[in-house]
Amino acid sequence: MIFRDVLLILCLLVPMALGQAVEIQLAEEGALAEDELIFADDLFTDAFDIIEDVDSGSWRDGLTIRLSQQISGQVNHHLVEPIPGYLLSKHGDLENNRFGINLRYQNAFALGWLLQGSWQARAYWSGDYVFTTNNDNIDTEYRVNELFVQRSLDQQSVKLGRQTVVWGETVGNSALDVINHTEYRDFGTIDIEDARLNQWMLVWDVFKDTGNWSSFINLYPEFNPQPVVGSPFYVSLPYEINDYIRSDKTLFEAGTQWSKSFEGSDIALMVAYLYENQLRYPQTKQQLIKSAALANDFVLLGLSANRAVGKLLLTADIALSHGVLLDESTLSGGGGFGLANNIKKDQVALSLGFEYGISNLQSLSVSIQAKKMLDERHGLAAEHQLTNKGIYGSWLVRYSNQVMNNNLSLSATMQGDLEGDTGLLFLGADYSVNDHWQISGQIISITSRKTSPLSIFDQDLRLGLIVTYVF
Amino acid sequence: MSHIKRLSLASITMIIGLSLPAYAVEEITGLIVMQAVDDNQRATNDSSFTRLKLSSCKFGINKGRIACAESPRVKVLESVAVNYGESLKDTKSVSITIEPASERGIGMLTYSYDQEDRDNQTWLYLSALGRVKRIAGGDSEGDTEPASLFGSEFTTEDTDTGKLTEYQVNLLEETTRSNRAVWKLEMIPNKARAKKSRYSRTVHYIDKSRYVALRSEMYDKYGKEIKRSVASRVELVNDNWIARSVTMMNLVSNRLSNMALIEIYTDLDINDDFLTQRTLTDTAYREATLKQLRAQLD
Repeated sequence: MIFRDVLLILCLLVPMALGQAVEIQLAEEGALAEDELIFADDLFTDAFDIIEDVDSGSWRDGLTIRLSQQISGQVNHHLVEPIPGYLLSKHGDLENNRFGINLRYQNAFALGWLLQGSWQARAYWSGDYVFTTNNDNIDTEYRVNELFVQRSLDQQSVKLGRQTVVWGETVGNSALDVINHTEYRDFGTIDIEDARLNQWMLVWDVFKDTGNWSSFINLYPEFNPQPVVGSPFYVSLPYEINDYIRSDKTLFEAGTQWSKSFEGSDIALMVAYLYENQLRYPQTKQQLIKSAALANDFVLLGLSANRAVGKLLLTADIALSHGVLLDESTLSGGGGFGLANNIKKDQVALSLGFEYGISNLQSLSVSIQAKKMLDERHGLAAEHQLTNKGIYGSWLVRYSNQVMNNNLSLSATMQGDLEGDTGLLFLGADYSVNDHWQISGQIISITSRKTSPLSIFDQDLRLGLIVTYVF
Repeated sequence: MSHIKRLSLASITMIIGLSLPAYAVEEITGLIVMQAVDDNQRATNDSSFTRLKLSSCKFGINKGRIACAESPRVKVLESVAVNYGESLKDTKSVSITIEPASERGIGMLTYSYDQEDRDNQTWLYLSALGRVKRIAGGDSEGDTEPASLFGSEFTTEDTDTGKLTEYQVNLLEETTRSNRAVWKLEMIPNKARAKKSRYSRTVHYIDKSRYVALRSEMYDKYGKEIKRSVASRVELVNDNWIARSVTMMNLVSNRLSNMALIEIYTDLDINDDFLTQRTLTDTAYREATLKQLRAQLD
């Protein structure tokens, strides 16, 4: 029913988006053979009017508004066996039916000063899991994504506010991209760029010929939010889990990075004192009622580099994490209901990637991230089963192609774990109807072995459609 | 992630700056004319600030006139470029997308080198990515097919300069075009160039007194005209005549693109620091520096 309604809306919207009623006939072959061409009087005569538009100095110049309506759902009727002997029937169902407003604002309000922010609001309609968990009522959500003031001087820049710090070269699969916390709420969120959440920080950049320094301090570290009730990643537990309870203990994160570019290569070294983004929950007798989260601090040492060779870009990120807890994360980004969470260990992680520009319109990238917990069994009871053993990690393959004068963007993303337990295929098509309207289609398929924590998603097939208007 | 364009925006201005200074030679040859064009293009690109608008649409005939058959797609970009190196044949440029809104703020920094064995360097900034990313694009010649400039009908081949030794340039006749005296000349690629070209022959009509290509015709290997460009708004900018509006028509797909140089200023005092990655990420610095550049224009 809802799919039908959306299709109806689309049928109405697209002709509107295509714009003016056209009485102009396309030129026939030979019609332009005459020597002198005459353009219509109004053809691009307004091209130079943009001078006034751009220089108007209006606050509106820096505002970008994006409106979007998304529907998506799992469509494959099938059985899964998440626990041996327990068969679960999965029916096709709508998961997302939501309207979003995203605002982005950027204003260099004085010489060397900048104010930048982005906000988002969501309304959850009938059929969305948020609607369902809200007792079949429309629910809304609002949050500030980014909001900072920047002051730039000769060779320095200071940014204060809500922002992201991204380290690492291997896009989407970097072992060093651990500073900001993330939220994978839905399967439509494939890219870490979309999952990354901003934090309140002070960032200080120094630009020198000998290399650039970028340092940050975060006096209010945040953690990955718990799965939203009703979302695909939500698992009902027999006890309540709480967020981290901030007490008198002051939490802070700080780090610095030195980077320098050479011909054909960029290199960076970094060190940081961080808290793991994923909270841990100790198993105690009290867990029958509720479990309070633990935050774990650690030290990160890192090196990142890239090397361009013709159309090939090679990337490498190396991370040494000192004092982390046992890694119980899964491909979906979840995990953390840890046993033995008081045993700190060191972890080595390596990301390697290559990106190949097949042409100006096509690109292919492949990357792997491999991690190893040093002395992983030291201090553990013999019966303790590890979620991640030995060398573990993930791989990522992306292909993109631009066709129809760059109006249609096709992409394929495949992702899985190194053990081969789980694989995810994402196919996307983004069609720009004009400079404002865009229609996107998504197909997401998941396969998973019974032994994988993601086995509940085995054979899931999700279809999604997003209509976007930007102005 | 949005797709990545490995194109030097600085080169875009070259096609519009298709003009040449008065050439004091007794006998004008096609090669001399095009050499002068080439030298002039570099001059119009040096230490420059450019704002351009690229509009594309399907076109048709309405009451005998060419008109868009749909709402044009529009891109507005700002670019700063400086030439470096021996004979100023290397270029550092930075470009920022202003419109459309969905691409606003995308920045690209390019170092392009004249030496064939030296790969160009490109960095891209996407706000969604949250950082600057190096793009591997190979050398400026490349072995791939000519690529569209930002989805328009202009291609890298249309904006390519130099390499005149790869063409046979013939001065065909002196004639008139748009009521102005012009040289009509043709450029025929040699075998090596032809492998990388979509054109078997290009005919230019160069304004003899203002030294601007008023019209160009591109032919495929079967001798059929497949594209045509027409220039207008020829104006004097820093002692160089420049066509500030060029329309490229694809006669096969019936699609056209207009490139309008909304603003172009050359010989500006541009600090080397501006043509670094900082300009992509540090918006406060970028806007402050651009304001100072504009102040030089007043």
